[in-house]
Amino acid sequence: MSESTRRMIGKWARGIAIALVVLVFFGPILWIMATAFKEPRDVYALKVFFTPTLQNIYASFDTPFFVGERTWNSIVVTMGTLVLSLPIATAAAYAFSRFRFPGGSVWSLGVLATQFIPPVIVIIPLFVAFRHANLLDTKLALVIANMSFVVPYAIWMIKGFIDSIPLDMEEAAQIDGASRLRAIWDVVVPMALPGIATAAIFCFVVSWNEFFYALVLSRQDATTLQVGLMSARTERGDAWEIMAAMGLIIILPMLVLSRFVQKYFAKGLISGSVR
Amino acid sequence: MAAVTLTGVEKHFGTFTALHSLDLTIADGEFLVLLGPSGCGKTTTMRIVAGLEEPSAGNIRIGDRAVNDVRPKDRDVAMVFQNYGLYPHMSVEENIAYPLKVRGLPKAERAARIRQAAEKVELGPLLDRKPRQLSGGQRQRVALARAIVRTPQVFLMDEPLSNLDAKLRVTMRAEIKHLQDELGVTTIYVTHDQIEAMTLADRVAVMSQGRIQQLGTPEEIYDTPANLFVAGFIGSPPMNLIPGEVGSGSFSAPSIRLDGLTFGASGPAVLGIRPEDMTVAEGAGVDMAGTVYAVELTGESNLVTVLLGKERVIARAPRSWRGKAGETIGLKADRSRLHLFDKESGQRLENPRTADQ
Repeated sequence: MSESTRRMIGKWARGIAIALVVLVFFGPILWIMATAFKEPRDVYALKVFFTPTLQNIYASFDTPFFVGERTWNSIVVTMGTLVLSLPIATAAAYAFSRFRFPGGSVWSLGVLATQFIPPVIVIIPLFVAFRHANLLDTKLALVIANMSFVVPYAIWMIKGFIDSIPLDMEEAAQIDGASRLRAIWDVVVPMALPGIATAAIFCFVVSWNEFFYALVLSRQDATTLQVGLMSARTERGDAWEIMAAMGLIIILPMLVLSRFVQKYFAKGLISGSVR
Repeated sequence: MAAVTLTGVEKHFGTFTALHSLDLTIADGEFLVLLGPSGCGKTTTMRIVAGLEEPSAGNIRIGDRAVNDVRPKDRDVAMVFQNYGLYPHMSVEENIAYPLKVRGLPKAERAARIRQAAEKVELGPLLDRKPRQLSGGQRQRVALARAIVRTPQVFLMDEPLSNLDAKLRVTMRAEIKHLQDELGVTTIYVTHDQIEAMTLADRVAVMSQGRIQQLGTPEEIYDTPANLFVAGFIGSPPMNLIPGEVGSGSFSAPSIRLDGLTFGASGPAVLGIRPEDMTVAEGAGVDMAGTVYAVELTGESNLVTVLLGKERVIARAPRSWRGKAGETIGLKADRSRLHLFDKESGQRLENPRTADQ
């Protein structure tokens, strides 16, 4: 085989491999995007050309799917998780990074170890506790449940960054006249910002996509968009076009996010805890 | 400005004792250098004064105020860190402004003070830069400016020059000295570099193993070292320390004999002679003779290492002196500048003088 044919084959093989990966990753997304705009009768047809309609989108916002309210629920739950988790995780990360605890790293590892317990086990006591507290089917319950798995990971992400900030600067700030808290705010937080941003993106993604806890803990009022997807399985069969319309709304923020922050996210992961 | 007083200050880290009951008074406006090898407790002492470390026992006073329970921010001290401790996300101007900002000084007054401080350390044109855009010397100047921008009671400097190259170190040393003279602020300066200690200090505290070995002016430390540690630590090349015996007006070691000395002590002792207090000599007046082991020309003089039996001693010879390794030469010691230490305790014995003095 000559050098040039070998190169040709290599080039083609690479092309095919890339095409396969692209198909596997983007095929479903394209399917969802297309189906969302198809007439119900076109759903099963693998038609590339069809007359797009907004009918499914309109229908999904209507009874019994309530996409409007459920999107709002999802936004509130996600933002609530974000707003509460980040300060808590930053404070905890600082403590784990700077203070010595009896037992050493047992505590910081313990926080992470809680995540090895399958959610399906945790959900039972959570459900009982929330019922006693009258929190079932509230957004607050979902925020708390989300925090139970967002905060531990966020702590570890941010801790990696704080570990790499020299103590000198904080001490300098304290001698310059700042309280410890002020030194953290003025010096540590700005320096750990890439890590906090990484944690924020992670937190946003997993809270937004969270399905299981929301399914068990909500019934009607607090149902999120992700759980709402199930309502498209009607007695008349699965309304794929409605599901696709909902799916489109679910993936929308991810598409926006991946466009703008993907680079930052990768950088944060590489320069932080992994290093 | 204020005096700093430490009484009975101790510091333990677990079972390790970093400081053994330290007493130290630094006068108002004084430049005190804590000098010692790494791990001697000098930085711990400074951090205790700063409030960054809590003493395990003892009291610290700044001026007439006990500051044991005062937080660093309220101690009114300024500190220059070894790695400068600059805030990387702030510009030079913001860095210098920070101590004023946290103290809530109005913006207009801040600007004037920043300009003054920046001018004192010649940073004027760099105010808009970020620390990472500066050279080591410039960063050092920013750290200094941040320290002097408000007038603190005490300056603390933790090896501020050790990250600079040799040439810059000499320049910055002079600048720090000038600045302290001008401002007259009580200064505690930590270093392991004896040249810095000798040139900067009003008084030097030589530390080792958590204890002050000697406290005195640079002259006292150099001319009358209190013990073997100080004798060996101060001076470059270090003092020659020769173990031997003293008794009835003479010192003797296997290949050395010095007569005509007056001191009361007798028994095992260590004789100390600085290289510059020995001269290469010939003829009858020679105190010791040996073979030349190495000759090093430093530019201003020759350092001659001479083998006296098993002992190696270093003598300073004039730069014009020409000798070669392997030659036999004689050395003469300046009797008025000999040091004698107890072999057991390492403490200085009375200053031996020649009989005719």
